[in-house]
Amino acid sequence: MRGTGLRNLLLLLVAGLALSGCEGRVIPTCPAGKLCLHAGNGTDPGTLDPAKSQLVTEDNILSDLLVGLVTDDADGKGVPGMAESWTTSPDGLTWTFKLRDATWSDGVPVTAEDFVFTLRRLVDPKTAAEYAYFAFPIKNGTEANAGKAPLESLGVRAVDPKTLEITLVHPTAYLPQILKHMVTYPVPAHVVKKWGDAWSRPEHYVSNGPFTLSYWRLGDRIRLVKNPRFYDARNVCLDEVYYYPTTDTISAERRVRRDELDIADGIAASRVPYLRQPDQIPTYVRSAPYMGVYYLAFNTHVAGLENKDVRTALSMTIDRDFIASKLIRAEKNAAYGFVPPGVTDYPGGARVFYADWSFEKRKAYARDLLAKAGYGPQRPLKLELKTASTGTAEPSALVAAVQSDWRSIGVQTSIIQEDGQVFFSDMNVRNFQVGMAGWIADYDDATTFLALLKSDTGAQNYGDYKNPAYDALLAQADVTVDPKARGALMVRAEQIALDDVGVAPVYFAFSRNLVNPAITGWNDNIMDHHRMRWVCFKDAAARRARSQG
Amino acid sequence: MLRFLLRRLAIAVPTLFLVVTLSFFMMRLAPGNPFQGDRKLTPEIEKAVNAKYGLDKPLAVQYVKYLGDVIHGDFGPSLKYRDKTVVEIIGQGLPKSLTLGGCALLLGTVLGMAMGTAAALRQNRGADYLATTVAIVGVCIPTFVTAPVLVLIFGSRLGWLPIAGWGNGAPRYLILPVIVMALPLVAIIARLTRAGMIEVLRSNYVRTARAKGLSESAIVLRHALRGAVLPLVSFLGPASAGMMTGSLIVEQVFNLPGLGKNFVMSASQRDYTLVMGVVILYATLILVMNLVADMIYALLDPRVKLS
Repeated sequence: MRGTGLRNLLLLLVAGLALSGCEGRVIPTCPAGKLCLHAGNGTDPGTLDPAKSQLVTEDNILSDLLVGLVTDDADGKGVPGMAESWTTSPDGLTWTFKLRDATWSDGVPVTAEDFVFTLRRLVDPKTAAEYAYFAFPIKNGTEANAGKAPLESLGVRAVDPKTLEITLVHPTAYLPQILKHMVTYPVPAHVVKKWGDAWSRPEHYVSNGPFTLSYWRLGDRIRLVKNPRFYDARNVCLDEVYYYPTTDTISAERRVRRDELDIADGIAASRVPYLRQPDQIPTYVRSAPYMGVYYLAFNTHVAGLENKDVRTALSMTIDRDFIASKLIRAEKNAAYGFVPPGVTDYPGGARVFYADWSFEKRKAYARDLLAKAGYGPQRPLKLELKTASTGTAEPSALVAAVQSDWRSIGVQTSIIQEDGQVFFSDMNVRNFQVGMAGWIADYDDATTFLALLKSDTGAQNYGDYKNPAYDALLAQADVTVDPKARGALMVRAEQIALDDVGVAPVYFAFSRNLVNPAITGWNDNIMDHHRMRWVCFKDAAARRARSQG
Repeated sequence: MLRFLLRRLAIAVPTLFLVVTLSFFMMRLAPGNPFQGDRKLTPEIEKAVNAKYGLDKPLAVQYVKYLGDVIHGDFGPSLKYRDKTVVEIIGQGLPKSLTLGGCALLLGTVLGMAMGTAAALRQNRGADYLATTVAIVGVCIPTFVTAPVLVLIFGSRLGWLPIAGWGNGAPRYLILPVIVMALPLVAIIARLTRAGMIEVLRSNYVRTARAKGLSESAIVLRHALRGAVLPLVSFLGPASAGMMTGSLIVEQVFNLPGLGKNFVMSASQRDYTLVMGVVILYATLILVMNLVADMIYALLDPRVKLS
């Protein structure tokens, strides 16, 4: 008799758990007869207000909701969006955009006034947009943002409801790139005026893009529903898109394998070779060059590092090929230049002078350079290498590889790993010697990288690299209208920075996604932009029939 | 009883105040700020952002304003989730964490007590060794191991259960996370119950009950268990506050919209307002649960007087 009560209770519990569990495969939510896509999206967005947005995960969602003057095609290239066409004055300073007939999701027409309102709001110090600098090429953008000029003086004007004129400070060849970036997406003036900052809440949200915002459950999912008022709605295939925050990429991978997710972003590099095995999910793995570069910044205020020979020695003794092939698993991505390949209107070709040397030859040369600078076994160079802990294994492995490379030429390196917030604050105030930094492009133009090393860039030029010749070439490129001539100037500047070892580029970024092979219209591209407007399924009809709410 | 409650309340208010003050200043003294990232802001933009979120005033002024706002129930907007207020974030996460934590607490307590009792009744025999082993293993294996292993078995291989997601709170989505959260609890509770039970079973009043000729189940369930759960109650008070506010690991592995990740993420991202919100919530819960534990103690053990 002893303990029967307890035993029964236990049995009951186990039975209950077992019963409730036997439901088989989970079919993700989708209303009957609809075509839905379920996408893993890193983290929850911080905001869906374009003026306050900063994150890639925000860009993914915002770009399905709002369409700028220029927009992405399926390959991430700029094509006319809200602007049907545009013309540029001969001096490259005045751009005139003809808007297409389009409405907001509440039926109100999208007008040139909406864009005037949007861009003024972006620079308004009261908006406190971190990305306000996107409007700095526009006349009085910098001044208005600093509160030194009225917002009305910003070089944006509605000539008539369908014509927008933008006046610039200097010819900005990449203006279309800026105008397809999320921070310049139009916001509905009539809605923002009514609700203020609260306009971006799902209950007030009004969009002009392929989808509207249905709900946002923090930590769970965000639901977008097709916008029937979108100007190209008849070519939008998906009825609904669900974005899930997937902070754990392994968990996201499991969900993709079980069709709970159709797409997962940011797969760990170490998983890629495994997933590509024939008995795994090789057709799901999508990896492509991405517009970003990871580099070491040398603090030129630190004794030793102000010496170009020392920086050269350090830079050439990084085994980039090992790092690219063994650590980040992307053989072709070793960086011997600073601007990644594939940038629009950029011929490229700038390289470090030792790019083709063997690693042994480089080490010997580096030892000589260090000896010339007074370092050797008697007086070894001692350095601190700082990095941000990101929660993934790759950065730690990478700095360890650099440490061991440098040990081979007698440099003693200690590694300091810090929380992201602490790391960037240290880099900004120059509290570092060598820092592992990265830069993902804001837009598809070489200036987004090269501007990092201008002497007037301020905090973001971590090492305070300075060369007047470099600055002069970029300044000249800024006022050059002809894209070819401009590209050539910028390549010359890049070569100078590489020769000076302003930074030591290590590898170029690349994107890694898992994409269900039944998906169409999701094309690899250098911006890793995949707008759901273009996406569909090969078996769309079958999927619609399977949806049961 | 009422006087006891009032006195505890009188201590709780200054305690909370101290917690709020300490965390407010510690958070601000930590290096970095919420707007520090790989994009360094120009001084003008930084100034505008600080002004917008009230970080441009002297720290003392910010502190006084924050206290005033909190007293009026305004915890401000999150600095990272700018479209959401702190109250909204907690309001969205707390019910989910309560559901998960509550279920795990219930499961862990029932299973743990059952195991502990069974082990105590069969001291130094097979069942005892089994239960003790399970308990040690349960304590030793961390959740970041049990979670993926269980997902692999019951989700990926057998396909019985969803591997992640909230699924609008459908029970089958909760089973694995609840089990993962309950396992360490089962282990601790089993050990506490076993130890308490063994002690009580040797006590005089149990001997008296036996002498009276009561059935064994009546002795165990009515008399012994009641005495044996006393140490459990003092453990469960603060433990339940922890369970109900969620777990970072469980939420990450299972993609759950709970509160737990906010404790870690908001601190490392310097989301000042959100940190303060969750700290105040957690401190309040701890105070309340300790109070409840003390009251239950008094109900269970006539020797304890609430005074």
